[in-house]
Amino acid sequence: MSVSREDVLRIAQLAELDVEEEALPTLAEQMSRILDYAAQLSAVPANGTVKIFVPGPDAIRFRFDEVTPSRLAFGPEEFAPDFKEGFFVVPKLGQFE
Amino acid sequence: MSPAWETIIGLETHVQLRTRSKMFCGCSTAFGAPPNTQVCPVCLGLPGALPAANGAAIGLAVRGALALGCTVHPKSVFARKNYFYPDLPKGYQISQFDQPLATNGTLSFLSSERGVVNAGVVRLHLEEDAGKSIHDRFPKATAVDLNRAGVPLIEIVGGPDLRSPAEARAYLQTLKQLLEYIGISDCDMEKGSLRVDANVSVRRTGETALNTRTEVKNINSFAFVEKALTVERDRQIALIESRARHGRHGYAGGGGLFRDRRQDERRAPGGRQLGDDRGARRRERPQR
Amino acid sequence: MSDAKAVADRLVKAKRLNALLTPPKELRKSLNTQIAAARPTGVLYGMPVAVKDNICTLEFTTTCGSRILEGYRSPYEATAVAKLKAAGALIAGKTNCDEFAMGSSTEHSAYGRVLHPLDKTRVPGGSSGGSAALVGAGAVPAALGSETGGSVRQPAAFCGIVGIKPTYGRVSRYGLVAFGSSLDQIGVFGRSVHDAARVLSVISGRDPRDSTCEDRDPLRLPTVPESLQGFVVGLPKEYFPPELDPAVRRACERAIRMMKELGAAVREVSLPHTPYAVPTYYVIAPAEASSNLARYDGVRYGPRFNGAADLRTLYRSTRGQGFGPEVRRRILVGTYVLSSGYYDAYYRRAQQMRALIAQDFRNVFDRGVDLLFTPTVPTPAFKAGEKLADPIAMYMSDIFTVTANLAGLPAMSLPIGRVKGLPIGGQLIGQAFLEDEMIEAAYALERVVPATDEA
Repeated sequence: MSVSREDVLRIAQLAELDVEEEALPTLAEQMSRILDYAAQLSAVPANGTVKIFVPGPDAIRFRFDEVTPSRLAFGPEEFAPDFKEGFFVVPKLGQFE
Repeated sequence: MSPAWETIIGLETHVQLRTRSKMFCGCSTAFGAPPNTQVCPVCLGLPGALPAANGAAIGLAVRGALALGCTVHPKSVFARKNYFYPDLPKGYQISQFDQPLATNGTLSFLSSERGVVNAGVVRLHLEEDAGKSIHDRFPKATAVDLNRAGVPLIEIVGGPDLRSPAEARAYLQTLKQLLEYIGISDCDMEKGSLRVDANVSVRRTGETALNTRTEVKNINSFAFVEKALTVERDRQIALIESRARHGRHGYAGGGGLFRDRRQDERRAPGGRQLGDDRGARRRERPQR
Repeated sequence: MSDAKAVADRLVKAKRLNALLTPPKELRKSLNTQIAAARPTGVLYGMPVAVKDNICTLEFTTTCGSRILEGYRSPYEATAVAKLKAAGALIAGKTNCDEFAMGSSTEHSAYGRVLHPLDKTRVPGGSSGGSAALVGAGAVPAALGSETGGSVRQPAAFCGIVGIKPTYGRVSRYGLVAFGSSLDQIGVFGRSVHDAARVLSVISGRDPRDSTCEDRDPLRLPTVPESLQGFVVGLPKEYFPPELDPAVRRACERAIRMMKELGAAVREVSLPHTPYAVPTYYVIAPAEASSNLARYDGVRYGPRFNGAADLRTLYRSTRGQGFGPEVRRRILVGTYVLSSGYYDAYYRRAQQMRALIAQDFRNVFDRGVDLLFTPTVPTPAFKAGEKLADPIAMYMSDIFTVTANLAGLPAMSLPIGRVKGLPIGGQLIGQAFLEDEMIEAAYALERVVPATDEA
């Protein structure tokens, strides 16, 4: 299973993270190795007979519908990188649609 | 509208449920508070925070599903819809995908053109709302208010069963009446507790195949529903008549008709869900 | 009751290990405040406990060993931390770790690698290497770490201390920065089984803020047993392969002999899907990570890289530069296996394999086995830099530990010998929510095994 340079770029876009040009070949190679290694999993029969297992409680425990205090020791103005007039501020998306 | 053309409309409605607290945390859902004052680690998407599901929301959603004649599934699963947008704090929305709360219902309404229409409700599922992005408050920037992030929503997906913009309006008015009557939402389009996205396509009368459809988003009044869909229908007819391919596009500002960017990401490959919060979560039928 | 200065001094003395991320001045100041406020009736009164930096605390920063959370101060604390404080413990600083808990050597921290307490050319293990190194160096009696694939047990084995991973759902994850939601658990390091166990007992128990935490009372500690009479210990043959390091094998064989001498019945068992555990883990964990790390986008907290540009650039620069190479690699692998076209081939298959692995354990425990005993890691601590070139070489370090995370079972490592002065760990794997039996056996073994003797 070969992961190409283009694959890495496409996935990086989906994951919203920059990958430098120089890093692409190594990443492609490493990802290929990892995915080849993971391909051993094809030992499992492809049909749906094996039920999925997830640890922990089977069903969600529900919370009572009441307003509870926020448990924030301090507000967003203390930790937000850009906060004005009560809003988180981010640069606009590229150009409009 | 020329009898030579048939309009096909399906509506996706998002309805805020009348709970006191949010879907996955104890923050208030009250409308109109100063920005970012009804927030906590969970709905802010802070590192390490975890969702805790609101039982009343499930109850209201089930009530809505039953009122629409849906089959309510005793087991349904929360899953994550992964995409990036500033008002989506976790980088994913907790929603339902493969195993929704309810399927296969009907909303009957009166069409001025056809009489009683039994429009299909394909599915009804639970999800959390995103925050609000305000694009015109600061120059070259977007202001984000997360008060709304995490408010419980039901998404009601209608089949492609409506045949005119007027029917779309009638459908919505009936839906609003019903959901208000049973007390699960105040269905106020102006406050945003009822939001509609419309899928519209046209075809020549007599054709059976469906053409590419366009999505019209963020319609914020009943009057505008009819107006926007009329405009879109006419645009598509004109396009086909001029033999152009058509796909998605948006309307410029004013009147609240603009395309929401996040729609692209939502439909992009790679937005595959993981169960929340481990791999799959199940909900047992609520006890009466 | 230790005083703030003595606690701080011991930690500062271990500075060269680069295990503590909290500056000494801030540590001292906080300890003074904490001691004044600590509950004298708490069962851990005055006990300094260091906390891995991927667990949210109100004291100090929470960086997860990453640049993307550099300087971040959490406005809330983890439930486990709140429980420690309610029991009178002192939060003795935040410890260095592999970035976002991804790694097996603590060489992938943005804040420099952590040194092995006994040999500075070697790694302490990871991802909770900072916590392990501090306990291993005697700088603090106990520390919190976290596990997703062995990140408490493996460093415990490398550093010659006790490390316990509870059953999934035993300890609240609220405030543990999520990496692999279906795998993560907070774990505990201690100099002795008792130290680790009593901290675990305090942090365990129900938490309405974490729906995956079972609605149970906190763990009740067993008494130290006279013998291991009545215990049936299974030795899964897949964990004793021919290529196992000879010293590790010798140390295990010695421990097994001692268990028999203590009256345990020992028998060979099989967990046939073990060879698939590492590939399963390295599909599921990155997939979950790619979703859990989507929130780190420079919008609401943490630094911005290239913050003035447009939104897309903000995201891509912040995440591209804020995350280190190992995290980036895992996010990319994770995104890939979840993308359409690959979801069934990788992620779904891995989930099914996980079920088979969990079933292997159930089959063995259903046949009268109480506990399993295995080596914790195939080798003692390796040299820094040795496994950086090939990610898979690093992943293989988790070969005996990931199964317990995949199956959600409790497991622990305790020191069972040395080779050329380097510690070797033996692993016990218990049944779900039967940590008390596992700890009981560990108490007995600890008393007789010559942990610091050459194997």
